[in-house]
Amino acid sequence: MEALHIEPSEDTPKIYFEPEVELYVIEGKSLPENAIDFYKPVFDWANNFFNSDDAPTNFVLNFKLDYFNTASSKQIAKLFRIIENSPVSENVLIKWYYDKDDTDMLKSGTRYSKLIKLRFEFPINED
Amino acid sequence: MSGDPLKKEKLGFVFKLFKAMQKDNLNYIYRGVFTSNITDNILALAESNLVKKEDPRALKRKVYNVMVEGLQNITKHQADIDDDVENNNGVFVLKKENFKYFITTGNLIENDNISGLTAQIEQVNSLNADELKAYHRQVLVDGKISSKGGAGLGLIDMARKSGNKLLYAFEKVDEKYSYFYLHSEIPTTSSGTSIISTKNPGTIKYISALHKMLNEENVLIIFNSYFNQDSLMNLLSIIEKQMVEKLSMKKRIYNTMVEMFQNIIQHGDDYKQTSEGKAGLFYISETDEEYLLNTGNYIRNTKIPVLSGKLEHINSLDEEELDEFYNTRLLDFGIDTAKEAGLGIIDIRLKTDGKLEFNFIAVDDTYSFYTLRAKISKN
Repeated sequence: MEALHIEPSEDTPKIYFEPEVELYVIEGKSLPENAIDFYKPVFDWANNFFNSDDAPTNFVLNFKLDYFNTASSKQIAKLFRIIENSPVSENVLIKWYYDKDDTDMLKSGTRYSKLIKLRFEFPINED
Repeated sequence: MSGDPLKKEKLGFVFKLFKAMQKDNLNYIYRGVFTSNITDNILALAESNLVKKEDPRALKRKVYNVMVEGLQNITKHQADIDDDVENNNGVFVLKKENFKYFITTGNLIENDNISGLTAQIEQVNSLNADELKAYHRQVLVDGKISSKGGAGLGLIDMARKSGNKLLYAFEKVDEKYSYFYLHSEIPTTSSGTSIISTKNPGTIKYISALHKMLNEENVLIIFNSYFNQDSLMNLLSIIEKQMVEKLSMKKRIYNTMVEMFQNIIQHGDDYKQTSEGKAGLFYISETDEEYLLNTGNYIRNTKIPVLSGKLEHINSLDEEELDEFYNTRLLDFGIDTAKEAGLGIIDIRLKTDGKLEFNFIAVDDTYSFYTLRAKISKN
């Protein structure tokens, strides 16, 4: 299974999808002008990964975003859709992290959990 | 469109400010308390965004140095003022015009210090470049410290690095305090010798009037520049570091700014057809109850009916309806281009308090100036 690593920039998050250690994290800020371009490789990876014969039976996707713009929120919805429509959707858990006081971030997460048929958890960031 | 004539008047302020700043080419204004954090951020912003990339390195260094001295001047004086004094808000203005940079600072000082300060500046202004150099050395060696603790070195440095006379003015506030405005000009010509000051009392007068206006409206930060992703990221880093609010409030302001800016980047129009982005104005002001985030930019008149319809519609929805609308749009992958996710304005309305205020001021047959204001309650 292939890994996907994208280094963070000032306005895009770090993507660390590493099957070898079974760690999948999206972390930081996601505010690009053109979110479609940025998330394209993520969709390509997800389409391959979740629809392959050796897709994992247990998969945790960690979202640790500080900020994201509405352009990104649509791309995140798209990513969730890809996973939702894959044969292994029941094996997937989305961990949506938020800062204790950041009710907007929690709200965004619960929004997705209501719209997308995937399991969600909402851990609080520890600091 | 906002209906209320009073509100219209207020939004007119944005355009007035924008026009005034355009006319005078003011690029960046910060008004408020100057902490070392804020000072660092202003310098970083200047380095990355305000000072043009194509400028010669020596010029950039000069601008930077004069800014450092000017900002330190503000923080030094600021510390002397009693805590309970209202309007102890300094102002920092950077403008660029015809290959010249203008840096103006304004801050409160005690009236008792006016004569000493005047003498110091006049002394500095009376010297030519060589004399300034000698004076600089002498002050360093003698360590003749002024009552302000700065040995006047800052003023000497500003004069030396700008290669120009310092302009200044005092604006009386009350029996005890005045605003002290200090203005320096840095020309691109590097002849090495002192250039005779172009006497620009208009600018300093203008800035003190502007400062008054900003005090009345309680404006914290104004950014008059081109709207592009770079300028957004720079402003965000300032906001992120200098706002003292609690995290959730800060994030709200941050998020709203992102959406307002990117909305302009995508949908605003370029009145002057420049390659740098769309000219516009962004400012944050404050009341006891709320922060007001304001943008102003040009749009084509032909876009107004659709845009105002959209804004009216979003304003007419209650929270539940807004949520529903957001959900529908979020999963509507038919609206999904690099320019448009269809969520920005809904998100701004959801994350801020009360209705959005907007206005269109006709500029000519093709363009209008579009202002948008979002409010974020402090509770």
